[in-house]
Amino acid sequence: MTVKTKKKSKVDLKQIEKIIAGYRGKRWALIPLVQEIQEKAGFIPPEVIPSIAGALNLFPSQVQAVITFYAQLYTKPRGRNIVRVCRGTACHVRGGNSILKLTKQHLGIEEGQTSEDMEYTLETVACIGVCALAPNLMINKDTYGNLNPKKVARIFGRGKKE
Amino acid sequence: MESITIVLNGVEVSGNPGTTILDLARESGVYIPTLCHDPNLASTGACRLCLVEDERSGALLASCVAPISAGMTINTNSVKVLEHRKKILKLMLASHPDTCMVCNKGNRCQLRKLATEMGIGLIEYQKIPQLDIIEEVNPFIERDLSKCILCGKCIRADQELVVEGAIDYINRGTQAKPATLNDVPLEKAECTFCGACVAICPTGAIMEKESAYTGTATNVVTTICPYCGCGCSISLGIKDGKVVHAQPAPDSPINRGTLCVRGSYGYDFIHSPERLKTPLIKVNGELQEASWEEALSLIANEIRRIKKEHGADALAVFGSTKCTNEENYLLQKFARGVLGTNNIDNGSRLYSSASRIGLGASIGYAGTTGSIDALERSKAIMVIGANPEISAPIVAYAIKRAARYKGAELCVIDPRWTPLAQFARYWLQPKVGTDIALLNGMAKVIIDEKKYDVEFVTRMTDNFTQWAKSLEKYTPAYVEHVTGIPRNEIQAAARMLAGAEEASIIYGNGITQHATGTDAVIAIANLAMLTGNLGRHGGIFALQRENNAHGACDMGTLPGFLPGYKSIENAQHRKKYEERWGIQIPSQTGLTAVEMMEAALSGKVKGIFITGENVIASFPQPSKVKKALQNLEFLVISDMFLTETARMANVILPAASFAEKEGTFTNFEGRVQRLHKAIEPCGESLPDSEIIMRIAAKLESPMPYTSSQQVMEEIEEMVPFYHYLAYRDTEPIEADIEGNEINAPSNRRLYNGLFPSGFGRFSAVEYTPPTDVATEKYPFTLLVGSVLFNFGTGSRSSRSKRLKQFRPEALLEMNNNDAKRLGVKDGDKIKITSTQGELTTTAKLDAKLQPGLLFMPISFPEPPAYELFDTTLYHQAKAPALKSCAVKVERITDDG
Repeated sequence: MTVKTKKKSKVDLKQIEKIIAGYRGKRWALIPLVQEIQEKAGFIPPEVIPSIAGALNLFPSQVQAVITFYAQLYTKPRGRNIVRVCRGTACHVRGGNSILKLTKQHLGIEEGQTSEDMEYTLETVACIGVCALAPNLMINKDTYGNLNPKKVARIFGRGKKE
Repeated sequence: MESITIVLNGVEVSGNPGTTILDLARESGVYIPTLCHDPNLASTGACRLCLVEDERSGALLASCVAPISAGMTINTNSVKVLEHRKKILKLMLASHPDTCMVCNKGNRCQLRKLATEMGIGLIEYQKIPQLDIIEEVNPFIERDLSKCILCGKCIRADQELVVEGAIDYINRGTQAKPATLNDVPLEKAECTFCGACVAICPTGAIMEKESAYTGTATNVVTTICPYCGCGCSISLGIKDGKVVHAQPAPDSPINRGTLCVRGSYGYDFIHSPERLKTPLIKVNGELQEASWEEALSLIANEIRRIKKEHGADALAVFGSTKCTNEENYLLQKFARGVLGTNNIDNGSRLYSSASRIGLGASIGYAGTTGSIDALERSKAIMVIGANPEISAPIVAYAIKRAARYKGAELCVIDPRWTPLAQFARYWLQPKVGTDIALLNGMAKVIIDEKKYDVEFVTRMTDNFTQWAKSLEKYTPAYVEHVTGIPRNEIQAAARMLAGAEEASIIYGNGITQHATGTDAVIAIANLAMLTGNLGRHGGIFALQRENNAHGACDMGTLPGFLPGYKSIENAQHRKKYEERWGIQIPSQTGLTAVEMMEAALSGKVKGIFITGENVIASFPQPSKVKKALQNLEFLVISDMFLTETARMANVILPAASFAEKEGTFTNFEGRVQRLHKAIEPCGESLPDSEIIMRIAAKLESPMPYTSSQQVMEEIEEMVPFYHYLAYRDTEPIEADIEGNEINAPSNRRLYNGLFPSGFGRFSAVEYTPPTDVATEKYPFTLLVGSVLFNFGTGSRSSRSKRLKQFRPEALLEMNNNDAKRLGVKDGDKIKITSTQGELTTTAKLDAKLQPGLLFMPISFPEPPAYELFDTTLYHQAKAPALKSCAVKVERITDDG
């Protein structure tokens, strides 16, 4: 619930309408269309749902159903960096929970939230496939393993990724 | 197609390829439990309760979606099946609250029923309640999604049947639930409260509101909805002599599992405390309760006196489009035979006489030519001057189904945005009153491009060449100039209509209530004949405002026609009825509805008997009508309520409601359907048929009927297209369409392309500049129309507790820019003036409305929009133009 507004003001609704217009009449193309919108705008602003529905001859509620079904489709703005903390079994037994707690503290946000400066979105995942290095987290496409509180502090203390 | 044989519980049965195991089992009388299956919906196999075992492989199949295949050996009750079914049901129950004892779904709950059947008492799984808030702000539907089993029936009913799309699933997994867009409450979403989801929900998740703890209905009676002309079958649930709920009757060929908000929730006027329970007599200006004997004696004496002093034609009778066929038949017999006058008409004069006369002249039959099924099968549908979402919701559902799921192309012709426009390929917005130019222009495009149905035109119609010649001037350029519609759109719509294998044209009051209504109807008939869409398929669909408008006219509550549209001035026709009734029938055409009021005003008519019509609210110039009624020596009203009109009466007779009597209604398709008595009449009220017969008896001309069945038998004998419609007690009475012999008189829908007179006739109709639109002095065109939550004059819907709560205020809708120009803001008080009168109301800005147009709902006592209309009678229809008029608008400042 944090900061929708900041990012929202940046959303170019005109650009989205243009994307939608390109799909007019193509009922099959709902998923490619919302993916394209998400690619350009970072998320799918709910206010464009009626216009998507109108273009594809679907009901707005149907479009919402599809968007809310897929975890990969977002209706809220997302941070520039996505932090995914692993909650897999291996990470769990090696203190993944504490890593999550620390990450929350560092970023000042809860799971599923985005920081006010739109820098980070925090998510958890079931496993990222590098159990040998547990506990793990990912920032965007980079994996950080063998974590401990110090390391976590270093990662986020450094500020941005890289 | 070769049929497939399978073994079902040890017995060989066969079915067509594609049949599901479930359907075949049901055909064979084998029971398989289901929760998410409904015959009106596409199967999704969501609930898995219909599992059956294929004994060859041991596979469990969801029988509602598994088609039969050769060699299947199905066991519907194997140990494995039962075990799985129980498990599935227990899992559902594990997240279902233990509220059965207080749940109002009661015995209608299928979840509970199945649990009982399977003997499930204890659920050994951990309970995971899906708590959710109970949504109950709106007056119609209560949603408690903690009881939802995610069968998806509500969503599918909404999308597949009603095609509203107000709800769909939101989220996934344990978070999933049916929800509106942005999960707002129903009243803030697209929902029209049609109640389809309530009727179909197998659990207590979605229920009727305001009936909590009334318990389960002990008796269900299927009858016909009393509101619009669709004629939906409704099942009334009865408990302790009261109707406690209404649901769509499952097998109706018309509504197929759907109703609208009026059908589902509008019935409660029958239990309104305002119902009249005894006859009332006006003594010194005060209404006093009286006995039937007193009231009837008074009526008989007054009728005798007026007849003696002023002649029979000083009396007039007003039939009702809400009463049954039998009642209307009796009423016209009463007027003609007992009173001795043809001064009899009904309320449909004001909205469907143009249709009757226009279609009569063109195709020789005064009504809709196809069934709702044929409409849904059409590949092209043109809706002109109608907003069926409000006037005939079931027709709207069929149109939307055709457009969204069956590949039909839809063309909506309406100056105003209507919900159907969202489904339309073309939405043409002609200037008000230019329909004839547009229709003629479309016909010309079709003829010029040689796209018309040559065979049909040559074989089935006459006067084509002359008519085609009359279209010369309606070139696309000219029509574009007149209507304001770009010529390419006119051409595209014409091609759409001509190109489709089956096409239907739907029209309503937006055509018939204009001054040029009759001609516009003829232009529509021309177009339908030109494209060969009459008789064989598609057709013309003339929407009727009221449930039995069709029947009332069929039954001859018309000043110029005996039952079956037999002209009164034809001696042979009269003779037929005179012999049957053993009485003399006057030979001169009587007064039409509006003429009666004029005659009352001038003193020519002294006494009027009105059944079930609130003329003060439904006629133009209400204040003038009031004066006319005041001028009468004697006015008798039979009604359920003390309406504005009833207050003027000398005697008011309490009439029984639709749920309290037997009879038949004829819907807009011409389908004659049986009404069943569900409860006893309220107080001392009586069915109108009984009232008419009692008055006749008091006048010493008793009518020899003991039941409505006897009346129907006479109707069958006397009225051509009611032949063979035996008064059966079972299925809805309906002429067998396809199987009938071509010439059979019961084949009243012209299904096989035959016109009653042998030929359809093309008639030239010319566009004349409309008289009922903006002028220099009155620069706005005011359109009027009805709203969903109010019906007719509102005498019933405004007494429905639930509908009333949602009845919007009668606001004046106005285009944003017009408003800006006049300095009008949303919510400002506005004065509207026409040449006839003025009224004040509140402005509501609407960007969708064309500049120069205004819209206001009719039939609200305040403000009475009809004060602005004049009573000039137009064309052969002898009806006033009640769709639009020229007005000017002023903002009223706070200081007046």
